[in-house]
Amino acid sequence: MSFLLIFLALMGGAALSVQSSVNGRLGGAVGLLTTAWLTFVLGALISVLLMLFAQPPQAMTLLDAPRWQLTGAFFGVFYIVAMVFSVPRIGIAAATVAVITGQLTMSLLIDNFGWLENARIPLDPHRWAAIALLFAAMALIYTGNRKREAAG
Amino acid sequence: MKQLLTLAVVLAAGMGLSVEAGLLGPLGEMVGHMSATFCIFLVGSLLLSLALIFAPRRSLPQLFSQPRWMLNGGVLGPVYVVVITTATPLLGVGTTMVAILFGQVATGLLLDHFGAFGAARQKVDGYRLGALALIAGALALIH
Repeated sequence: MSFLLIFLALMGGAALSVQSSVNGRLGGAVGLLTTAWLTFVLGALISVLLMLFAQPPQAMTLLDAPRWQLTGAFFGVFYIVAMVFSVPRIGIAAATVAVITGQLTMSLLIDNFGWLENARIPLDPHRWAAIALLFAAMALIYTGNRKREAAG
Repeated sequence: MKQLLTLAVVLAAGMGLSVEAGLLGPLGEMVGHMSATFCIFLVGSLLLSLALIFAPRRSLPQLFSQPRWMLNGGVLGPVYVVVITTATPLLGVGTTMVAILFGQVATGLLLDHFGAFGAARQKVDGYRLGALALIAGALALIH
């Protein structure tokens, strides 16, 4: 079961990568804000269809949920705006590594403390070792990106 | 100093992505994963529509004169969000994020190698291949 879920998550990452490649081209032509707008509007159209026709009826609806649980999109939009502002200033290499570092740190903290009503998954020695490997991976990505930026 | 501040903003933005995933999982368990996904895209569309109205440069008219394939990237967005909301409650936020990172880096490597979607071709290099191997190791350990 969890093997299947990890495979699903890999596919989600692949979808993200293809999307950012296509969106990169569009962003070059019309700007990142307009590109992000189109992405979210398309996403809303598709997901309202999924919600209405591909989901069994639920005991609770979005309007019954505590409002703070509905604020996820604010973080997504803040990310987009932050990237539009930062990439020209610090370069894509540094920005990529900073995003991934922030993302991994926060995800491990949420797991460790069970924040936002998530299940607790404590930081054990295995996870610390994984963090070390991820740091090394970030260093490699940064160096590789810098080389490519320098090359042009 | 200014650079450091910008870096901190980007770091915070990355943390926000995990907070988003951390909010989505439990919400999806409560109201359904498709509804949680819809909530993200609805609120996001509204926020960005507001931003567009007040943006200094108007590029919305140019949008629809672009080649059709360029407009299709957005259909993949829901794939990513549905995956997050489904996987997070069962795998945890950390494992989900590392698996997504692996899929992202691996696909990015392939797309660049073959010059997909009109991007310049960049052969697979040792740096990113090494990074991919390390991320795979981390995924095995973290899970």
